[in-house]
Amino acid sequence: MDFIGKRIYFLTVSMVLSVIAVVILFVPGLNLGIDFASGTSITYKFEGGDPGLSSIRNALEKSGHGNAVIQKSGTDEYFVRTTDLGDTGKDVIDEKLREIQDVKLITLATTSVGKSVADDTVKNAVIAVSVAVLFVMLYIMYAFRSVPESYKYAVAAILALVHDIVIVLGIFTILGIVVGSEVNSIFIVGILTTIGYSVNDTIVIFDRVRENVSLAPNRAFRANVNISINESITRSLGTSVTTLTVILAILLFGGVSLRDFLYVLLSGVIVGTYSSIFIAAQILVAWDSRGIFFWRRKI
Amino acid sequence: MFRNSKGIFLIIILVIVGLGIILTPKITIGSFERGEKNSPLGLKLGLDLEGGTHLVYKFMPQEDQSFTSEDVEGVRKIVEKRVNEFGVSEPNVQLLGSNPPDRLLVQLPGQKGLNLTLSFNGNTVQTSTIENFFRDKIGISSTTVSQNEDTSYTVNLEDVDEDLLTGDTTSINPETIQLWQKQLSEKFPVVIHFSYINPDLIEDKSPSETESKSNDAEPTDYKFPTIDEVKHVFDSFELEKAEIEMLQGAEGTFSAVIYGLRYDGQISQVQDIKQSLRELGNLQFFFHEGDITQWTVGGGIQEAKRLIGSTAMLEFKYRECGDLNNVDPDIPWPPDGIPQAAWEFERCNNPTYYNETATEIDASDLVDAYPDISQNLNKPIVQLVFNDGGGEAFYEVTDRIAREDDRLAVYLDGDELVAPYASTGIAGGRAFIEGPGFTSDTTRTIAIQLRSGALPLGLELTQERNVDALLGEDSLRRSLVAGSIGMVILLVFMVSYYRIPGVVSALALFSYAIILLSIFKILPVVLTLSGAAAVILSLGFAVDANVLIAERTKEELRAGRGLLAAINTGFDRAWPSIRDGNLSTIIVASVLFWFGDRFGTSIMQGFALTLVIGVMLSMFTAFFASRVFLRAIASTPVGKKTGLFMPVSDEIENSGRS
Repeated sequence: MDFIGKRIYFLTVSMVLSVIAVVILFVPGLNLGIDFASGTSITYKFEGGDPGLSSIRNALEKSGHGNAVIQKSGTDEYFVRTTDLGDTGKDVIDEKLREIQDVKLITLATTSVGKSVADDTVKNAVIAVSVAVLFVMLYIMYAFRSVPESYKYAVAAILALVHDIVIVLGIFTILGIVVGSEVNSIFIVGILTTIGYSVNDTIVIFDRVRENVSLAPNRAFRANVNISINESITRSLGTSVTTLTVILAILLFGGVSLRDFLYVLLSGVIVGTYSSIFIAAQILVAWDSRGIFFWRRKI
Repeated sequence: MFRNSKGIFLIIILVIVGLGIILTPKITIGSFERGEKNSPLGLKLGLDLEGGTHLVYKFMPQEDQSFTSEDVEGVRKIVEKRVNEFGVSEPNVQLLGSNPPDRLLVQLPGQKGLNLTLSFNGNTVQTSTIENFFRDKIGISSTTVSQNEDTSYTVNLEDVDEDLLTGDTTSINPETIQLWQKQLSEKFPVVIHFSYINPDLIEDKSPSETESKSNDAEPTDYKFPTIDEVKHVFDSFELEKAEIEMLQGAEGTFSAVIYGLRYDGQISQVQDIKQSLRELGNLQFFFHEGDITQWTVGGGIQEAKRLIGSTAMLEFKYRECGDLNNVDPDIPWPPDGIPQAAWEFERCNNPTYYNETATEIDASDLVDAYPDISQNLNKPIVQLVFNDGGGEAFYEVTDRIAREDDRLAVYLDGDELVAPYASTGIAGGRAFIEGPGFTSDTTRTIAIQLRSGALPLGLELTQERNVDALLGEDSLRRSLVAGSIGMVILLVFMVSYYRIPGVVSALALFSYAIILLSIFKILPVVLTLSGAAAVILSLGFAVDANVLIAERTKEELRAGRGLLAAINTGFDRAWPSIRDGNLSTIIVASVLFWFGDRFGTSIMQGFALTLVIGVMLSMFTAFFASRVFLRAIASTPVGKKTGLFMPVSDEIENSGRS
């Protein structure tokens, strides 16, 4: 199969998807969990009867918190998360909730989280991932030193990785809107897992390229890459399918609480496999034949 | 072949040892202890999987002073250190709020149930007896009792009925405690031996007289308390049952076995009984054993909680002990008939005989306190570091103590921590405390408690709740079952597609899982949700390595090599990609581990550590175990059927071509 000839389509599709992903990351943005968004979360207990989810939502809308997250956490307990309530906000909500029906309202817990925690986490995550990426690039340059211009492999692998992270974030933004998936600590773990998977998958294909380039240095680079893709595609798909089997099994039959995490893994594995074949390897070829501004030139 | 059989032998040994480690609930070799009660395979579970205690503290500045972000970060570090030192696994200590943060979140995982610390006077009770008592009498099935070094017992009670607990479910309500104590005292008798003496005999006995003379002396008409009188005393205490006997032929000597003695949390009724018995006559001898002397509900978490929250009023007091020798010849010395040998202890340890006054040493003068091992004595000690002012005051106090043989009593929130003596005045602001009963645990606790005096801000507990496991037990179980189903599907796929190499992968993955879990248990690695994700990822890598090897072997076979040569070349060809892929992952994981402590949570580090271990092991099993297995099978008659070593699709292709 000729994968190389169609690279303009793959690269274009990925560029478009990445741009869309970046845009929706700003607006509307990820659905941040309480760990990461600033706001207030309150656990209420309604002693003497369960007022029902809809009447609580009504009460919150009346008090000006239509976007609040409301979860039932016990027979008569509700977890409510809102934007920062300030000094008087909670009293307003309490008042409206008391109007629902004749039940005794007890506040079990109130937690407010400042924005700084979230900012720090994001900042640290970005630094950590950047340093990790830098070291991986150095390692790839070293490991691929037998082939000419090994830095290109390093850059291509990292571009594929960034692509994967961006797309997965985009997918998660959409999931946040559609099924209310939230960014929490487990989400971060999912992204980390995606990073590990993506790098590994790309390296397996690059390893084939390295081997083929060493075996037939005089063959055209694009031909070598194409042969490498064809040779390793069974393995790439094989590994993805087996991994996806396990993830899907847990997603379908496992507990609900892991759902968001598994969505990240699922999209991470799919995108990671796709990018190693259709992005990482293609960037190598494009860079080799056309320079870095590959999308401007005709093939 | 020889190398091969040795390899197989090694792997089988590893797997058997691994299985042994996993299946042994608790491993104890000397002081080396591994394995958690009541957790799957005895693995340590993190807060997100296991649940635990969630605490929120509010910073309380002294006298309305304002505080900065640096102050609260200082407090956070102290608290984190304290919690870590207390051995609570993977705690999470995080600041909440901003500019500056005003609250502190502390999550302490684990600790199911309640811990009750119990002591009996005389230490006559078997641990199994206590265990049976709580199991059968109180009806708490999961009870474990262990005896501590100080002869107290720690009773861990799980699944305590919620009705018996107070609202926050971390302590037992007072009525229950009273009921339990009542039942306990009804089950475990207190034995008292006591005797009266004729006061005339004591007065007669002067040093000038010989012993034989006093024995020959006519008994005076002193009337000893009768058994009825004694019984009457015991009756007045409304005991469950009291069996009182007078010793045959020894008037005034009794023994009592009593059930249902009450314990009010401070002093047991034994002292009241003693007092009442004294009123009957001249009580000479009073011995009691089996009565409760300590009853504290709490344990690891409670203990840690107490340490975190303790605003720690640390006081250094000068303890002027009772005079060692007689000052006034007219008063008999030592007082109260205490023998000279016991007096040396009593004069400094019995509050009746000493006085305490404040010293110039202020809690804030103590810069640091840490546990250490003395080089000279080879014993656990607590090191103290004072600032200049404190050092001077400390010298003055210790100098006086050394001269007058007194003590420096250190109090934390009114409780005596230690009361060491000094053999000479200690200058320079550095000192250490040693004690005969000090273990590394006691020095650690004392050091934490001493240091807490340096806490720059007070902490007030504003929120406390027990967190359920993030996944919930049901959800976790279902996910595990589902994961296992996924694994089975995966293995079926591997076996049916790759055939013999697939079977080998299955064997290698099995070995991998066993060895990985046993490593987790031995180190131990705390299994969190993020750790579990890393396990899944490393498992994926292990599968991937096997797929790569199988594919490469297939290619070599297709190229017309002999089976063994194809296997060897296949492995050699697959190696660089396995190595580079896995090493890159290890690099990523190491960086994440390195940065991990910058995050408020332990997620990053848990993930990274587990991933590094998992990936290293997956490289080993894929490359060592798979190769050894594959070569072993190739050398059996199965090896003649080369087709079985190729994927299904290829065999069809090949037969089609030929």
